Amino acid sequence: MLKEILNDNLDEVKGCEYAVVDFNATWCGPCKMMAPVLDDLANEYAGKVEFFGCDVDENQYLAQEYGIMSIPCLGFFKNGEQLDQSIGFKPKQVIAAWIEGHLN
Amino acid sequence: MGRYDIAVIGTGPAGLSAAITGTVRNKKVLLLGSKDLSLKVTKAHKIANYLGLPNAGGEELSAAFQKHIDEMGIEITEDKINAIYGMGDYYVLQGGENVMYEATSVILATGVVAGKPFPGEEENLGRGVSYCATCDAALYRGKNAVVIAYAPKEEPEADFLAEMADHVYYIPMYKEEPQLSEKIEIVRKKPVSMERDGSKMKLVTDDGEILTDGIFILREAISPKQLVPGLVTDGPHVAVDLQMKTNLPGCFACGDIAGTPYQYIKAAGQGNVAALSAVSYLDELKRRSK
Repeated sequence: MLKEILNDNLDEVKGCEYAVVDFNATWCGPCKMMAPVLDDLANEYAGKVEFFGCDVDENQYLAQEYGIMSIPCLGFFKNGEQLDQSIGFKPKQVIAAWIEGHLN
Repeated sequence: MGRYDIAVIGTGPAGLSAAITGTVRNKKVLLLGSKDLSLKVTKAHKIANYLGLPNAGGEELSAAFQKHIDEMGIEITEDKINAIYGMGDYYVLQGGENVMYEATSVILATGVVAGKPFPGEEENLGRGVSYCATCDAALYRGKNAVVIAYAPKEEPEADFLAEMADHVYYIPMYKEEPQLSEKIEIVRKKPVSMERDGSKMKLVTDDGEILTDGIFILREAISPKQLVPGLVTDGPHVAVDLQMKTNLPGCFACGDIAGTPYQYIKAAGQGNVAALSAVSYLDELKRRSK
């Protein structure tokens, strides 16, 4: 399961070396499809990359701050800084490759 | 309904041929498309080079296809697939009215989609350009948006967007008079291109420019990239190798969508190759899970 971000509070993400934040919403179909894929990836990358879920209705400030124009949107964070975004549903293999590309 | 071994999307020669070969190889096949098979086949005047049926007319060829699948007991599920999601070791296919199908492998045989994207459209997808108003509407609270719609059936999407957004411009790409909520401003201009302009999007039309927060493009035809997120394409075609493999494991493409020449017999041949590749893929998965 992904850790839920609440009250626009990104502190836990900022404390991670590597984190993926899934900006989503309850009314977004592709976001729902993405959830099991991200659960899988969170297990596979356990201990290396932390995964968070961020509902854009609950966290409107963060959605603005990080320029979310379309969901689902994954943000890749390194030491609290957003390095890259992956927009729209992506197959598991493609997200895995995207994460690998940012690990070093 | 359970998980299928192979989902074939498209009922032209490529899709039918793939479904036949998959069935011959004893796989559980889901064939999705139109019960009228392919209009491109039916409407053909004369086909000189289809092996075994010299100078067949389109309707004759279509009838021969129908007879073939009937004899094999293959049925067509009439549904339009809007999105195919790669979940890792299987795919979820989203049909009309949100019916979800599951299959271990997918064969794309949808034919080619006419119509090119606008300059600046694909580059800004998700960054101010969207194909789904109901998906992204809530992100436009207090903002304005342009909707470019290709059919009257998109009007409810614009109405939905207008409930959230401050202002909506609606550009109908059809002749009928749009029936929209009063909040929406109908603009009869022809879009030419779009580009980012600071935090806004600039839509260039044949009659001036519109500065907006976002542009929604609602089209009938879905490009392969939109249909299968993450798929690598080559212009309007899906990039495949000689085994009809795409960049996504378990996803294959054949027929016109896989590139030129657009020939019926080539499509049928590629459908056969795609199905056999899918069969190898399924066998390989089975071996690995043992």
